[in-house]
Amino acid sequence: MAGKASAEAVVCSCPMSFLGGVDPVTGKILDPECESKGLSVAGKVFCFPFGKGSTVGSYSMYQLKLIGKAPAAVVNGSAEPIMATGAIISDVPMVDGVDVEMLRTGDDITVDADKGSLEVANVLEKHVVTSVVRHGDKILLLQRSRRVGSYRGQWAGVSGFIESGEDDEAAARRELEEEVGMKKAVLRKRLETQRFRDSDVVWCVHPFLFDVGRRDLELDWEHERSEWVSPADVARYPTVPGLQKVVCMLLER
Amino acid sequence: MHLTAQEERVLAGEEGPGRAKAMQLLVALGDIYGAERLIPIASAQVSGASFKTIGDAGIKFLEDFSEHAKVTVRTSLNPLGLDLRRWRAMGVDDDFHAKQGRIVSAYRALGVEPSYTCTPYLAGNRPRRGQHLAWAESSATVFANSYLGARTNREGGPSALAAAIIGKTAEYGLHMDGNRRPKVKIEFEEVPEGLVPLAGYLVGKIAGKRVPYIGGISMTPDQHKSFGAAMAATGAVSMYLLSSPDTRKRTDVSEVEECVHVPLSELNECAEELKGDDAWDLVAIGCPHCSEAEIRAMARFLKDKKPRDECDVWFCTSRAVYGRCPKELTVLRRFGKVLCDTCMVVSPIEKMYRRTASDSGKAMVYLPSLGRQSASFRPTRALLEAISR
Repeated sequence: MAGKASAEAVVCSCPMSFLGGVDPVTGKILDPECESKGLSVAGKVFCFPFGKGSTVGSYSMYQLKLIGKAPAAVVNGSAEPIMATGAIISDVPMVDGVDVEMLRTGDDITVDADKGSLEVANVLEKHVVTSVVRHGDKILLLQRSRRVGSYRGQWAGVSGFIESGEDDEAAARRELEEEVGMKKAVLRKRLETQRFRDSDVVWCVHPFLFDVGRRDLELDWEHERSEWVSPADVARYPTVPGLQKVVCMLLER
Repeated sequence: MHLTAQEERVLAGEEGPGRAKAMQLLVALGDIYGAERLIPIASAQVSGASFKTIGDAGIKFLEDFSEHAKVTVRTSLNPLGLDLRRWRAMGVDDDFHAKQGRIVSAYRALGVEPSYTCTPYLAGNRPRRGQHLAWAESSATVFANSYLGARTNREGGPSALAAAIIGKTAEYGLHMDGNRRPKVKIEFEEVPEGLVPLAGYLVGKIAGKRVPYIGGISMTPDQHKSFGAAMAATGAVSMYLLSSPDTRKRTDVSEVEECVHVPLSELNECAEELKGDDAWDLVAIGCPHCSEAEIRAMARFLKDKKPRDECDVWFCTSRAVYGRCPKELTVLRRFGKVLCDTCMVVSPIEKMYRRTASDSGKAMVYLPSLGRQSASFRPTRALLEAISR
């Protein structure tokens, strides 16, 4: 699975078979389940979670290569033998271990199969902390002000960018102090970094759960309003992407 | 995966592009399965020989590949889509024959032996206990692991070919002791003789991906063949263990996580479900390919009977077995065609027949899908009675 390629992405969120899933003459996606049905994979970086179906699918990719309709590269969530075999016998670079949900059809992707790496030129990764602050059975939601750079007017936890070289827990505590004036907070839980794609940004969210002893707070310029809400009510607020998921995961026992 | 200096050189292309490609394939698959190294194999067995299963893309790949590579260990090949000598009598058309011919030539150029059978172990390629193999045919894999005590994963066609070229395979799965222990116990109340293939059919469904430990059944070698074939068709099972009162064959059952009891009634229900029609265009026996013992037994039964001639009959076997029992085959030929090199699963049966009866549990999986047949299961004895009087 060697080689490099740069091309536009065609993304499918469903498992894919080259036998039956892709037209052997045109390279167009045939699978009716696929949101990219009708698009051609020829010369594109073809991204999908994993391969499925008969081993003949390996030969089908080779057939596409011979008529010049093979993808420029294959990007998978997890590699399985049929797709890996097809990629190798067809000399199509392939990388795996990629979260395909973060990719969109049309993305400008560079694949380096020798290093197993992938770059998306049009997408910027931004690392932020988001803290869910809990008091009793309520959690704190903040409405973002009109002066902030993104998601104006939407509801969020206590969040902000992690500065260069900064430890993420330190960033979370700094934001607590700056945004709501809370100095004493007890860290209860933290999660692996969660990724959310929103147009040309992948938000890499570092989630934290803090308990605080009191509900009074001081808002800075970044927020308009604050509310203490029951976790089940988060869904009723227009929130920044992924907040509800993060709240659920943090409060899960 | 850790490669030796010699393996690195092959990967770098110092021994040519064909061996480099084969090595790339072994290394990529080894990485996917978490193997740490390559191990030598005693033999290989390659699937993907019928034009019906690999199509034009497969032909092209094999033709291109055969220009740069040759196998370095004994390598058998799965059945073709036709009998090389009797294809016209079978009803195969010229176009299919021409394309099948290109596949045969490509494999010959690769150095693969022209055995064309799913039972290489009856055609001279019989592994010994403990040997590591890279076999692809599912029924042969399960027989090699379970009955012969050899060690092989169920390879894909290209990966078995790559292993044959390098003479090694990645060490993972059933090559390792830890993955050969049973995970599910399946206890049969009773298995009547003709229903052994269906017992395998049920085991595959119950076991899924797990190695099963099976009680309540004892089998002849030929019954192992049909039992395992059915299991490998309904499940991703490449190995089973039989419970035995023999203390020297004691099995480590410490990892068994589930016990399933299969009453006789369930086996009978399965037979009823797979019964299908009572009228057939074709009766097909020999999936997996018939052994000598099976051919002799059928000939004994049919010797003094007359054919009913109500439908076509295929007895499928390997060219090797065919050569060993000429007298018996004369008897069978009065009742139908004795075909070598092919079978009802990989031949273009859908162009010739619509309703097929077989005594094979494996065929009950592939006849309806790959063969587009209305399939009917009958025990061997019932089929022989149906075609004779």
